[in-house]
Amino acid sequence: MIRNISLKTCSGLLDLAVGFSTRVLVVASFGSFSAAYSAEIELLPSPASERSSLSRIVSDESGNLYLSWVMQDGGFAGLFYSTLNGTSWSEPQMISGGDDWFINWADFPVMSVSSKSKAANWLRMSAEGTYDYDIDARFYDAESDSWSDAITLHKDGVSAEHGFVAMLSVGEGNTLISWLDGRNTKTDAGYGQMTLRAGVFNARGETLSEWELDSRVCDCCQTSAAMSAAGPVIVYRDRSAEEIRDIYITRYTDGIWTSPVAIHDDQWEIAGCPVNGPSVAAKGNFVAVGWFSAKDDSPKVRLALSSDNGEHFSAPILVAGPDTIGRIDTAILANGQVAVSWLDTTGEETQLMVSRFSPRGALIDSTVVGRTSASRRSGFPIIEAAGDDLFITWTDTNDGSAVRIARIHFASQ
Amino acid sequence: MSELKLDFLSRISIKLLIAVVSVFSLSTINADEAPGAGKWRLVNYWSEWCAPCRIEIPMLNTLSEQLAAHGVAVVGVNFDEDPRELTLEIAVELEIKFPVLKNDEVSRLGLRPPDVLPTTYLLSPDGEQVAKLIGMQTDAKIRKQLVLNGVLPDVDKK
Repeated sequence: MIRNISLKTCSGLLDLAVGFSTRVLVVASFGSFSAAYSAEIELLPSPASERSSLSRIVSDESGNLYLSWVMQDGGFAGLFYSTLNGTSWSEPQMISGGDDWFINWADFPVMSVSSKSKAANWLRMSAEGTYDYDIDARFYDAESDSWSDAITLHKDGVSAEHGFVAMLSVGEGNTLISWLDGRNTKTDAGYGQMTLRAGVFNARGETLSEWELDSRVCDCCQTSAAMSAAGPVIVYRDRSAEEIRDIYITRYTDGIWTSPVAIHDDQWEIAGCPVNGPSVAAKGNFVAVGWFSAKDDSPKVRLALSSDNGEHFSAPILVAGPDTIGRIDTAILANGQVAVSWLDTTGEETQLMVSRFSPRGALIDSTVVGRTSASRRSGFPIIEAAGDDLFITWTDTNDGSAVRIARIHFASQ
Repeated sequence: MSELKLDFLSRISIKLLIAVVSVFSLSTINADEAPGAGKWRLVNYWSEWCAPCRIEIPMLNTLSEQLAAHGVAVVGVNFDEDPRELTLEIAVELEIKFPVLKNDEVSRLGLRPPDVLPTTYLLSPDGEQVAKLIGMQTDAKIRKQLVLNGVLPDVDKK
């Protein structure tokens, strides 16, 4: 049985504001000055078929772009990917498929790529008729030009929730993977603690290292990972004993993971799941973290910047609020500018937004990429930098479900 | 009967017909057959993967039975907007005993989807949101809101 998000049509959904290539005006602001810049948004042909969703776009160290997505047909679900060759996509390749997958709008497959390896995961229900699921993955070894068999990443053997994966290529064909691990949630005394775990896997899928990074974290938010000049960093939503659910970071330096610390003291106290994880991007010593919070029922998207590999962060920069519903992603362009994507609701409309910030955190411009749906079925839009351009992918739920992808070319600044 | 009078009567008839049709149409459109419509409603947003949602469901089941006598309906919303058949299947698995709204019934509530799960809204009989309870609740917290809004008597008040 496949648990899946609905694929049926919903009213008032994506009505992309751009054509195949449309130049749109975006508003820029520098303190008391203002100017207008233009961004060219080019909607690319999608290699994904209809009934596709949960797309992600990633790049390898050479800048080659890979789009992954899930296609559903009846009770079957398959994870596919394609690479961008100039202006066209390669023939889609299926990484795995099955009829026992757990498909969810917020907890979706992830892919990482490098010249030496690839890795991709999906979620497989571990017990019929329950919300317990495992993280399965396959690994591609470029040296042998072959994919591994499917491997369950965690070795606990406990039927519980496992998911919200982040992946990062860390060199030598190895992949760092972080995930939320519910092995401690099943206790005689009731529901226990969700943990954050991470591991390094080689190109054959063998576990080289594994750690528990936090013994009590928020249950339902994505994790995110990036490579700084000093090593990998992982961000996630913490859960304190007092139910404070702020964004924390842990860094791998000198062979150990640092004690997790808050990016900012939001003090968002909730006995619940925001389902809105943070996003981290890094380039050299520069690290950018974006996140959603709604303290006092006041939704905000925030951004904090670090120039020392994530050891210290700036005060939060307000990206959006109070109409945002979050679902953010971050990327750093080649010129050092930071891009943040999120969803904003205005009346009956939901807009897919992208803002650019200077490396010092000054807002450069905000672009309306298009109109989409606040429905959970529209998922989490994902952005990826390619030079000074930005690629963005999301799910169009206007007529069934279809993956869309666009390139944003920023004309100036 | 003069032509002028006939014309006047026919115009009156057409206006009456339009009025009747309009009233009928409006009453048809406004009729909300959703569970709990016209009552005080506790609208609980849940998801199968949300642990605190699952934890508070037994409490809401009990509350649903106890509050029925006070004219309060507990209704659920599957945050994931799954197809109806799957939603009902999940509701059975989660042992939800109170009605779960259909997606179109949820749309008619006009509520902003919550930023946190679970979230429980208290709606007045005319559908106005009077309280938003964010995160996992207890029986006492929900009853307190009902007392504050005059839905339940304040037993501590003499």
